[in-house]
Amino acid sequence: MSDETVLEVSGLEVVYSTSKGDVKAVEELDLSVRRGEILGIAGESGSGKSTLAVALLRLLKPPGKVTAGSATFHRKGGSPVDLLKVQGEELRVLRWSALSYLPQGSMNSLNPVMRVEDQFKDVILEHAPERKETLSELIARLLDQVGLEPRVARMYPHELSGGMKQRVLMAICVALEPDLVVADEPTTALDVTIQRVILQSLADLRRDFGVTLMVISHDMGVHAQLADRVAVMYEGRLVEVGDVHQIFKAPRHDYTRQLIDSIPRLGRRAS
Amino acid sequence: MTAEKVIELRGVQQRFHARGTPDGYLTAVADASFRLDANPPQVVSLVGQSGSGKSTIARNVLGLQKPTAGTITYGGKDIFKLNRAEYDEYRRNVQPVFQDPYSIFNPFYRVDRVLWKAVKKFSLASTREAGQTLIEESLQAVSLDPGRVLGRYPHQLSGGQRQRIMLARIHMLRPAFVIADEPVSMLDAQIRKLFLDILLDFQRDHGMTTLFITHDLSTVYYLGGQVMVITKGEIVERGPVAEVMHTPSHPYTRLLLDSIPQPDPDARWTTRITVDESAATPPTDTAEEATPII
Repeated sequence: MSDETVLEVSGLEVVYSTSKGDVKAVEELDLSVRRGEILGIAGESGSGKSTLAVALLRLLKPPGKVTAGSATFHRKGGSPVDLLKVQGEELRVLRWSALSYLPQGSMNSLNPVMRVEDQFKDVILEHAPERKETLSELIARLLDQVGLEPRVARMYPHELSGGMKQRVLMAICVALEPDLVVADEPTTALDVTIQRVILQSLADLRRDFGVTLMVISHDMGVHAQLADRVAVMYEGRLVEVGDVHQIFKAPRHDYTRQLIDSIPRLGRRAS
Repeated sequence: MTAEKVIELRGVQQRFHARGTPDGYLTAVADASFRLDANPPQVVSLVGQSGSGKSTIARNVLGLQKPTAGTITYGGKDIFKLNRAEYDEYRRNVQPVFQDPYSIFNPFYRVDRVLWKAVKKFSLASTREAGQTLIEESLQAVSLDPGRVLGRYPHQLSGGQRQRIMLARIHMLRPAFVIADEPVSMLDAQIRKLFLDILLDFQRDHGMTTLFITHDLSTVYYLGGQVMVITKGEIVERGPVAEVMHTPSHPYTRLLLDSIPQPDPDARWTTRITVDESAATPPTDTAEEATPII
């Protein structure tokens, strides 16, 4: 991990307009993501974790809107851009190739009537048409990277289990070697053994591709296993950011402690 | 029948037609035998990964699916051969909580309807006022503010609130048995703990026995009581929770225990695992049946 910054978020504020006035989902949020790190975003439901992700990816839908702040994104070999301001073609080019997103419940994100290999092809040829010749080897290598056999390329999504679909998406996410992958609750709704396989694969992707990962999860166990640093959100604000050891061993904020303590844990009963 | 409120499964087997398998069948439950006693009230957890057959067992016990072999008895009588009155009593005494706190509600009706239906179907109150009081008491028993949930539509409530409305319904009915199929898998940590605490209160205060179906061992540990571990349609280990968790005898139980992400960055996994996920894929045409709307 270097000290080079991939993403610098500053003073971000996101509101949802309702008939009873605006609700602030993210407030005064400053956060930097370093190249090559796995940054965990923790917090309970409604704390603004997912809103933060969709705002950065420019996928926020009305009534949500960004009302303040900037998000400076430093891509390899390109000049820095403010993710909150890029428009049109520039934004389209950025997606997948520099910035990719593994959405929550991403097992539902695959196209049910396309073979896995065609879904890879769609993404890769759109952004890197020169890869056409080597496409099949690339797909096999990417699938292997997430622990899937090459034959999966010929399969349809309904032939795969939830954990396999999740890993196909992870492989698509890193296909173009993006600067940053944002994974929203990548293991929620998967059972423990599959969850462990997914976490293994995410760690492998960082080790082998040097992918920078932002992993959003309410499960503190996931952060403890995977993250280098953890940012804790509560009611739209960042209450604490720190090294994973510091967060778990010496949390500075009461809420962080509560979040860790609320996990029913083997070996003792939660208080 | 009050003296012998016991649900007993003997040699339950459930097969589904499935394409792509050697004999055209997929065995979801191979051979399951266990009993649930109402006395003393207890929590029995059934734990296993997706596709292990645990939800099929729940559907069998609830009488929603007749097993292909074996028997399920309640008070000594086969639940698929009960007469109308006996079946009503069974349905009243064996109540479900399902995984998805959304699909259980009809989106066109206010959430009150689920509670009023129970009041009417089981004649819990003689007047409207008494019914209203009962509903409000039950909502309070599950830490919901009646003023904030009654009159609302399902989409206006959070998943945790919707799941607790199902608990309020159970609180009104006071069944001997609760069959809870992955009730907390869609809830986050704080709400999950609240839900489990309410279930434990029900056991203590109202004498309910719960069959708790889950893939999450930390939840099992929190609940305590007895646990059965199921994989590939077979119960491979059973016993008191503390015993099974501390001295697991089956390799599958050990794998499950070892795969819980510990909230301790110094206790990261050092070994890698592979999972045969093709076995965990449900047969697409039969297993994913819709949850019945109550």
